[in-house]
Amino acid sequence: MLARPLNPPTQSQGKLELLEFRLAQESYALETRFVREVSIFKELTPLPCCPPFVLGIVNVRGRILPVIDLKKFFDLPEKGLADLHHIILVGGNDLEMGILADIIVGVRSIPATDLQSSLPTLTGVRSDYLKGVTAGRLVVLDLARILADPKIIVHEEVET
Amino acid sequence: MKWNVGMKIGTGFGLALAILAIIGVVAYQSIAKLTDTADWVAHSHQVMETLESVLSTMNDAETGQRGYLLTGEDDYLAPYTAAQRAIDGQVKTLRELTQDNPSQQRRLDVLEPLISGKDGKFAELLETIDLRKDKTKGFEAALAVIRTNKGKNTMDDIRKVIDEMKNEETTLLKKRSDEATATARNASLTIIAGTLVALVVMALAGFVITRNIANPLREITATADRMASGDLSVAVTTDHREDEVGVLARTFSRMASSLREMAEVAGKIAGGDLRTTVKPQSSNDLLGNAFARMTENLREQTRQLVEGANVLGSSASEIVASTTQLASSASESAAAVSETTTTVEEVRQTAQAASQKAKAVADNAQKAAQISQSGRKSTDEVVAGTGRIRQQMEAIAASMVRLSEQSQTIGQIVATVEDLASQSNLLAVNAAIEAAKAGEHGKGFGVVAQEVKSLAEQSRQATNQVRTILSDIQKATGAAVLATEQGSKAVEAGAKQTEAAGESIQTLAGSVTEAAQAATQIAASSQQQLVGVDQVAGAMENIKQASTQNVASAKQLEVAARNLSELGQRLKQIIQHYKI
Repeated sequence: MLARPLNPPTQSQGKLELLEFRLAQESYALETRFVREVSIFKELTPLPCCPPFVLGIVNVRGRILPVIDLKKFFDLPEKGLADLHHIILVGGNDLEMGILADIIVGVRSIPATDLQSSLPTLTGVRSDYLKGVTAGRLVVLDLARILADPKIIVHEEVET
Repeated sequence: MKWNVGMKIGTGFGLALAILAIIGVVAYQSIAKLTDTADWVAHSHQVMETLESVLSTMNDAETGQRGYLLTGEDDYLAPYTAAQRAIDGQVKTLRELTQDNPSQQRRLDVLEPLISGKDGKFAELLETIDLRKDKTKGFEAALAVIRTNKGKNTMDDIRKVIDEMKNEETTLLKKRSDEATATARNASLTIIAGTLVALVVMALAGFVITRNIANPLREITATADRMASGDLSVAVTTDHREDEVGVLARTFSRMASSLREMAEVAGKIAGGDLRTTVKPQSSNDLLGNAFARMTENLREQTRQLVEGANVLGSSASEIVASTTQLASSASESAAAVSETTTTVEEVRQTAQAASQKAKAVADNAQKAAQISQSGRKSTDEVVAGTGRIRQQMEAIAASMVRLSEQSQTIGQIVATVEDLASQSNLLAVNAAIEAAKAGEHGKGFGVVAQEVKSLAEQSRQATNQVRTILSDIQKATGAAVLATEQGSKAVEAGAKQTEAAGESIQTLAGSVTEAAQAATQIAASSQQQLVGVDQVAGAMENIKQASTQNVASAKQLEVAARNLSELGQRLKQIIQHYKI
C-alpha cells in the first residue's frame, strides 16, 4: 500500500479512478467522478409503495436520499446477511442516491486499457449497466446508465 | 371177753380207787368226830371262863362299894357301876351256854337270885351305897349293914355255886377229852391199814400192766428208735395180739415196709432213675404224696434242667462269641480312643493357637478402633477443607464472572476501535475520492488518504487480531466459568460425599469399636474354650485309661465266658445221667 504512491499515476485520460466495493461476495467498482461520499449505512427509514430495490430513505447531512439495493436491482440471489452495510452516495444528472455496499475496499486507479468491455458470463440485467471487467474480476459498473435508467426515473415520479 | 389195754389199766386203778375211797370215808368220820369233841371241849372252857368272869364282876362290884363306903367319893363307884351294867349280860350268856345241861340250869336258877334277887348281893350293895350317900351318918349306917354279914354270906353262897358249876364242867371236859383220844386212835389205825392194803393192790396192778403192755411197747420203741436213726431193715414181731399193742406193732410193720419202699424209690431217684412212680398209701399219706409229687416235679425239673442246660450251653457259646467280639471291640475302641486323645491334643494346640490369634485380633481391633477414631478426625478436617475449597471455588467463580464481564467490555472497546477503524477507512476513502476529484492537485492528499486508509486497515487488522484473541479469551473464560461451575458442583458433591464419608467413617468407627469389643469377647471366649479343651483332653486321657481297663476286663470276661461254656458242657454231661 505504501509503495503505491511511489509509482506515479499514468496519464489521467488513460486512467480510470475507481471506487472498489464488495457486494454479495463479489467485487464491484464505480468511477469516483460519480461518487460524492461513502459513509456508514444507518437510520434507514422504510418507504412504502416503492419497488423492492428501493429500501427506503436516509438522512445524510441534511439531505434526504433514496437508498438502492443493487442486489435486488440486478436480481442477484440473497446470500445471507452482509457483514457491515455501507452506503455510497453517488450523484449525476441532478440525481443523487445511495447505493448499499457490503464492504468499501478503497479507491484505486487502473489503466483504461485494462478494462475489458464485455464478459460472456455476465448476462441478463447486469450486462446493461456494465462499463467493463478488469483482469482481477473487478466488475466496473456504468453508473451513468444506472442513473439514466427509466426504472429509477419512474421512482421519481412515484415519489412525487 | 377181750381185754384191751384200757380195760386192764382201768381195772387196776379202779381197785386202788375203791380202797382209797374207803380210807377217805373212815378218815372223814374220825376227823368229824374229833372236830365235834374239840367243839365241846372249847364249849366247856368257855363256860368256865364265863363263870370266872361272873365271880370277878362280883368282886369288882364289892370293891367299888367298899371304896365308896370308905371315902364317900363318887370316883370309887366306877367299878361298881361297870359291874352292875355287865352282870346281867354275863348271867344271860351263861344260861345260853348251858342250855343242853339241865343240872347246870338248875344251879343257875340258884345263882341268879343270889346275885340280882331281892336279897341278892347287888341289893345289899345298893343299900349300903344309898346309906353312905348321907354324908354325915351314912358311913355308920352302911357299916352297920355290913356288920350284919349278910353280904358276906351271900358272896360265899355265890362262890360255892360257881365252884360247883366249875367242877361239873371240869368233869365233862375230862370225859370229852377221853372220847376224842379214842376216836383219833381209831382213825389212825384205819388210815394205816387202808394205805397198806391200797399199796399192795396198786403194786400188783402195776406189775401186771407193766408186764402186759410196757414190754411190747419198749420193743416197739426200740424198733422205732432204730427206724428214727435210719435203719429200716428192722422186723417187728407181731404175735397176733388183738389189743392196741398188737395193732400198733402191725401198723409199725406196715409203716416200716412203706418206708422201705420209699427208701428204695429214693435210692433209685438218687441213682438218677426218675422213671419210678410212687403210689401213696392213702390220700393223707403226706410222705407218699410228697414223694409222688417230688418224683413228678423232679422229672419235670430235670426235663427243664436238661433244656436249661442246653440253653445254657448254647447261650454260653454265644456269650463266648459275644465276649470275643466285645474284647476285639474294646481293643478297637481303645485304639480309637487313643486316636481321639491325640486328636484332642491337636485340637487343644489348635485352640491355643486360636486363642493367641484371637488375642492378636483383639489387639488389632483395638488399634483399628483408634485408627478409625483418628480417621473420623481426619474426615472432619476433610469436611472443613472441602468447605474452604468451596469458598475458594466461589471466589474463583466470581473472579471468572468479573473476567467475563471485563472481556465483554474489552469486546465493546474493540468494536468501538473497529468502528473507528472502519470510519477511518471510510474517511480515507472519502479523502481519496476528494483527492481524485481534485485531480493533479489532490495527488498528495490522495497519498495521505491512502496512508490513512492503510492505517485504518492496520487498525482493523489489529482489532481483528484483538477480537480473535478476545474471542479465544472469551472462549477460555467461558470454559473456565463452566469448569469453575463444574468444579463448584464437584466440590459441592465432594463435600456431600465427604460428609457421607464422614458419617460412614463414624459408623465404621462405631462398628470397629463394636468389633473391637467383640474381638475382646472372642479372645476371652477363646481362652475359656482353651480351658475347656484342656479339660476335654484330661477327660480323654481318663477315658483312654478306662478303655485300657475295659480291654483287660473284656479279656477277663472272655475267659470267664469260656469257663461258663465249659461249665454248661459239664452240666449237660451231668444231666445226661438222669433217666426220665
